[in-house]
Amino acid sequence: MESLFSSKGIKIGDKVRLSKGVVVYEGILMPSAGKREADSVVLKLPSGYNIGIVFGRGDTVERTPEQPKSAERRAAASFDKNKPQLTLIATGGTVASKIDYRTGGVSAAVDADSLLATVPELAKMANMKLVSPFMKMSEDMQSDDWKVLATEAANALNSGSEGVIITHGTDALGYTAAALSFMLKTPKPVVLTGSQKSIDRGSSDTAMNMICSAIAATSEMAEVGVCMHGTMNDDYCLFIRGTRVRKMNTVRRDAFRPVNDLPLAKIWPDGRIQRIHPEHARRGTGKALADTKFESKVALLKAYPGSDPSVMDFLVKKGIRGFVIEGMGLGHVPVNTEKSWLPSVKAAVQSGIPVVVCSQTIYGRVNEHVYSNLRALFHDAHAIGGEDMLAETAYVKLGWVLGHTKSMDKAREMMLANCAGEISDRTLPDTFLY
Amino acid sequence: MVTAKGSGLKCGIEIHQQLDTLHKLFCGCAARLSADRYSVAMTRKLRPVAGEMGSTDSAAVFEKAKGMEFQYFSYPLESCLVEADEEPPHQINQEALEVALKVALMLNCEIPGEIHVMRKTVIDGSNTSGFQRTALVGMNGWMQTPSGKVGISNVCLEEDSCQIVRKEAGRTVYGLDRLGIPLIEIGTSPDIHEPQQAMDVAEKIGMVLQSTGAAKKGLGTIRQDLNVSVDGGERIEVKGVQRLGMIPKVVEMEAARQKVLATKGKPVASEVRKALPDCRTEFLRPMSGTARLYPETDMSPIEIGKDYIAMLKRNLPELISDKAKRVASSGLNDEMVNQLKQAGQLDAFEALAKAFDPKVVAVVLTSFVKQLKGEGIAIEKLTQERLHEMFSFLNVNPLPKEGMLDLMRGMSNSPQKAPKDLAKAGGMSDDEVRVLVRKVISQKKELIGQHNAEQALMGLVMKEVHGRASGATVMKFLKEELGARK
Repeated sequence: MESLFSSKGIKIGDKVRLSKGVVVYEGILMPSAGKREADSVVLKLPSGYNIGIVFGRGDTVERTPEQPKSAERRAAASFDKNKPQLTLIATGGTVASKIDYRTGGVSAAVDADSLLATVPELAKMANMKLVSPFMKMSEDMQSDDWKVLATEAANALNSGSEGVIITHGTDALGYTAAALSFMLKTPKPVVLTGSQKSIDRGSSDTAMNMICSAIAATSEMAEVGVCMHGTMNDDYCLFIRGTRVRKMNTVRRDAFRPVNDLPLAKIWPDGRIQRIHPEHARRGTGKALADTKFESKVALLKAYPGSDPSVMDFLVKKGIRGFVIEGMGLGHVPVNTEKSWLPSVKAAVQSGIPVVVCSQTIYGRVNEHVYSNLRALFHDAHAIGGEDMLAETAYVKLGWVLGHTKSMDKAREMMLANCAGEISDRTLPDTFLY
Repeated sequence: MVTAKGSGLKCGIEIHQQLDTLHKLFCGCAARLSADRYSVAMTRKLRPVAGEMGSTDSAAVFEKAKGMEFQYFSYPLESCLVEADEEPPHQINQEALEVALKVALMLNCEIPGEIHVMRKTVIDGSNTSGFQRTALVGMNGWMQTPSGKVGISNVCLEEDSCQIVRKEAGRTVYGLDRLGIPLIEIGTSPDIHEPQQAMDVAEKIGMVLQSTGAAKKGLGTIRQDLNVSVDGGERIEVKGVQRLGMIPKVVEMEAARQKVLATKGKPVASEVRKALPDCRTEFLRPMSGTARLYPETDMSPIEIGKDYIAMLKRNLPELISDKAKRVASSGLNDEMVNQLKQAGQLDAFEALAKAFDPKVVAVVLTSFVKQLKGEGIAIEKLTQERLHEMFSFLNVNPLPKEGMLDLMRGMSNSPQKAPKDLAKAGGMSDDEVRVLVRKVISQKKELIGQHNAEQALMGLVMKEVHGRASGATVMKFLKEELGARK
């Protein structure tokens, strides 16, 4: 069927006349949407509705003489020397997308003009420079991508930009935020943002997230953080430290929450900033540095009732250089059972592979002493207690730490030291379920 | 008055009917308006969708919407994260889809091989998403009217919007309960050339919808819009025609208004007008550009197989009009048939009239049910099965009108109890009946020995019994008492 269409010079977006016996359909040929039978054709009828038509033997199709005109419009971005310069690094995901009204498809908006058409407010706030090193779904990202982003951000900050905004898919946004927190030493804000509701709907959270991110990126807060909706209302965004942020809901626009920490600030789209966190780094004049040395052979495991610790032994054979285990409660793994994790943890540590334990409770701090099983894990098997670090952050941090040292003692020391706001020695009551 | 004839009147109708399904179209919430307490769910703003800001028209709409804030009330059983535009839509409600397909088939429509849910841009806040989900399920249909064939250009299945709770300066407050109730939209071609024909069409479409048994009834469940033009002039959309009976007059007066403008040389601007209670129309807003429809990217197309359509065609509901004809041929007078039709009781009548006196069944299903509904009795508890039980009881224990109404009250209030228990429970003990019989006999001694004395006394006693005892019981005691006096 495809060849029949192409032999007649018909392509997506063309107006066609399709005849099934006496019934004639006229409309614009649309790209296929999802899983469909190979012989079905999608037409946009003059009423605007799409329908699928099964194209059978004996049916005919032709291009109509008159064809629709492309209606793409562009707003030109003009430079204004009185405005700060911001660099926007687009990496893909829901946030940097646009809808093509001719075909109805959603595609990546990778040029500054179409981005400004989406959020015209940005052009009023700053001179926007756009960089797009790659376009990826966030769950497909690897540590090499984090290195590219850290390097791009540092380059932008060292060549005149007052701040950087990184648009990113939301699923793995927290991991990238953590990675950049460790890799970047920055005197200026680096703000990651995304969108839970795509821009092709009037209710999209994209614009407000972008506007608040631009406010964060021009602010005094020299932090790497995530800026997204703070509530289900379209009222303010939360700017949350990159090592402390977690996606806590699959769908809600206020899915990104701080864990064991307060947000840095609430940011309203009208420009107001309300500081929440007692401490943050202030904007400075130094150079941004990207320290991207990273050991990608680290693994994040979950210990749960009935879990099989031999997965650790298997991964050690595969060359894994470090583990983070999400334990239960204060950091428990199964111990007094046939499937005790202790032997595997011990073996790993003895062969120079650090094992960090965080908690799958998400909130709270792990503890090495309260129960004898904890003492066995931390004192006999020499696992490293991950303090109040998010397991995902600990995973990213371990990769970064092992990129800098092969020494177990040094790795232990670095894992237990606060590098980028990921560990604190006090937990404030307000931080739970913020 | 300008008559429609020769005026070049062209009119089309658009009907929106809520469906009486268990769940909403795209989630598991109850498809009904809520009587529960609300809580404030959220406050939102809407923005134009990228690329929509080209024309001045929609730009103006955007500017207006830009400052607006929308607040939404949520209800425990009638809204969830789907209405809040947080969770993506669930799979389409199959029950609603099937009703829509049946309606399309009953209106002789073609059914697409694949149904695509679309998004229609709406930025007045009545849809939290900024669009209404709608799918074309039938096209190119037709229906017959006394004054000719009228084309059905589209049958769509869509989600209803939020209802306005109140408007404040810069803010509209909406309820999320109505959002997502399945709605069938039926649009006719502009083939209507007489005001009366417009009403015939609306009535017939309404009848087809009710024939499915899945259309909601009552205020606000059906909405009718009209498209009117004369002499090839601009199309005017008239929204909010409240009652069916208003349609011919509204069409006539709107056509006349356009004619007057034309004769004065004033152009008729294409606009949306609102129907007033006196059948005149007033300006509501300019006609928006052609609705922007784009695919609902969160859903896959729905394949509609030939076998499925064939199955639906074999199982189309019988039209109420056909049913009414058959009932009329069973000997009931037209008035009664009409009442049964209005009350939606034709099915119940046919089922019950097979076994019981059709006239009694008809009266029970119409005026008795209506009276009890008016009293606030939960008459819906009186299912067809229960009615069958009741009529079986009445066959053996005939009751007068009051007694029957009492029994129906009892059966509605106590759905578990048998008629015989209720008739007794609400009625008189044997001793009470005997005392009453004695009292009437002693008051009407003169009747004793006369012709028909038994019947006359029976009538007098029954009048005082008020349905609290069966005729058989009364007759038994009457015979005993009279026998004792002989």
